[in-house]
Amino acid sequence: MFKKILIANRGEIAIRIMRACKELGAKTVAVYSDADKNSMHAQLADEAIHIGDSSPKQSYLNADVLIQAALASQADAIHPGYGFLSENASFAGTVDSAHLTFIGPSADSIRAMGDKAESKIRMKKAGVPTVPGFEGLESESDFKKAAEEIGYPVLVKAAAGGGGKGMRVVNQPEELHEAIESARGEASNAFGDDRLLVEKYIPNAHHIEFQVFGDQHGHLVHLFERECSTQRRYQKIIEETPSPLLTPELRKQMGEAAVNAARAVNYYNAGTIEFIFDPSLSTPALSGDEGFYFLEMNTRLQVEHPITELTTGLDLVQWQIRVAAGERFPYSQEQLTQRGHAIECRVYAEDPANGFFPSTGKLLQYIEPRGPGIRVDSGFRAGDEVSHFYDPLLAKLIVFGESRETAIQKMQAALREFVAHGVTTNIDFMQDVLSHEDFTSGKVSTKWVENKFNWKPSTPTFESLIAASLADLTIVNRPSSIVNEHDPFSPWKNPNGFRN
Amino acid sequence: MKLIFDNTTLDLKPNGKSYIATFDGKTATVEILRTEKGKLDLLIDGKRVIAYVSADNAKRWVTVDGRTFLLTKSSGAKRRGAGGDQASGLTAPMPGLVRSVNVVEGESVTKGQTLMVLEAMKMEIRIHAPMDGVVKSLAVKVGQTVEREQELIKVESQTSKV
Repeated sequence: MFKKILIANRGEIAIRIMRACKELGAKTVAVYSDADKNSMHAQLADEAIHIGDSSPKQSYLNADVLIQAALASQADAIHPGYGFLSENASFAGTVDSAHLTFIGPSADSIRAMGDKAESKIRMKKAGVPTVPGFEGLESESDFKKAAEEIGYPVLVKAAAGGGGKGMRVVNQPEELHEAIESARGEASNAFGDDRLLVEKYIPNAHHIEFQVFGDQHGHLVHLFERECSTQRRYQKIIEETPSPLLTPELRKQMGEAAVNAARAVNYYNAGTIEFIFDPSLSTPALSGDEGFYFLEMNTRLQVEHPITELTTGLDLVQWQIRVAAGERFPYSQEQLTQRGHAIECRVYAEDPANGFFPSTGKLLQYIEPRGPGIRVDSGFRAGDEVSHFYDPLLAKLIVFGESRETAIQKMQAALREFVAHGVTTNIDFMQDVLSHEDFTSGKVSTKWVENKFNWKPSTPTFESLIAASLADLTIVNRPSSIVNEHDPFSPWKNPNGFRN
Repeated sequence: MKLIFDNTTLDLKPNGKSYIATFDGKTATVEILRTEKGKLDLLIDGKRVIAYVSADNAKRWVTVDGRTFLLTKSSGAKRRGAGGDQASGLTAPMPGLVRSVNVVEGESVTKGQTLMVLEAMKMEIRIHAPMDGVVKSLAVKVGQTVEREQELIKVESQTSKV
């Protein structure tokens, strides 16, 4: 087992990984940028190393500095978390050549799955269903021909892509030019690679992914599915498991396809096979069309891994570390079972009423819900600054219930208990998603938030106006303000009592 | 005492140990049971209400019954004068980085033309011309970090120049 592990990440996931390290008796090394010098993750580690200024390129994406930090602190392994360098094959390779262990798959597996076009060709060869489409297109007329053959609507997307960046839906030939141009621009900015592919666009598609897990001795299993269809801007906000759409037969079929996909790239450690699921085809499956298609593989730990942990009883991060150290994963596919129902809500500092734009500022109040069956993975406390440098994820709220209904009820109650002031959040928005009949009946597709759910924030209630007014009156009447104000220039904080 | 939040006015009158609150034709008796930092324990018409309250200048965050509202306290009947300005100032919809500026001051632009591109949270945000016109002023440069609502560029309608 490793003696010391450097966590090349920040925020909630860095803290989550540190917990697993500590449980396994490994010392932890955190890295932090200028903006994170007072962040929780830097404080909770056994050691913390400053790696650069606030921009990710100068810090969490700077491979050389991270490896130097690992060597200087005499760590023997690096856990990349998710995002940043977690799916960067050359980083994984550099870690290996520095005689450190990369806690994740091999650089070759990452490389093989990193390119969308190439991975799709590989998957086809391995017999994994893929969305009808074309890769390696050059001219606009090639795209036009391909789109016509597939039939509109089509999806133009970045070959190197992920997270919805460099992706455009094209409904008719006239829109193709603008779509190619803007997707190309976004792709080259985000990935430094402007190659695009075009494929069939599936309306009302669901996003269902399978967790896979393997050790370095050739044992590979799946840990069931996660339904991640509630998305905005192509990014997940609510995930649950089991999926309300899967029958035991489909689950088995998709699980086997996921294991085959991972096996095709000699995968080990934790990974996720994402499928596009067409609910109109799933029951009964049409001949030759399974109704699910390989979308991509995430060759790392997934943000939403906790719901799998709660329903399988496995600690995925501990197992990541253990198999990276060479241990065998001891459970056979038949021994693994799903129990109960788990839901994750991603609490973001963003404004659902304003295009889900990130909201920045100081957290004036921050109170997480508690109780049986409630888990909160977070990296913030009251008084912390939510900056524009990083993903505005405040916390992951995860609940476990014996059934889907009880899990939804528990999540509703937990969201109502969550207080975050100082930034706008999506807490109220998610409450309304969970109580919508499309959600309770499992009909939320990946475009539902954009196309169908016309959300409006509720207007302030009489009670909330009374509370705001009384808080103000109390300020006016008594200097010992009950309003939670972090403003250092507040006259109430003036020690000599003189107000100007 | 009148308190104005955004477009709503609430009247609050002390009444012995409690208050009488009036808003939009509704009246309620309010008693403060307990206060602690950032939290009020109230009795509104006999109903127990827990409220979390935070302040940042004129902004008030209030959470009551699992819902959070952001209210802006207004000091009086200040209203921004409407119209009169034919130049349209475009502001940043979110904090980010100016990735490219595609126009120069004095350049003629057409409605919908991409004037500049911002990058934030790895997303690309295109700032388009709201009308046909001329770039009156540029407030930012490539590589600059901008805050939300910060002015980026002013475009002047061509018809207004005559």
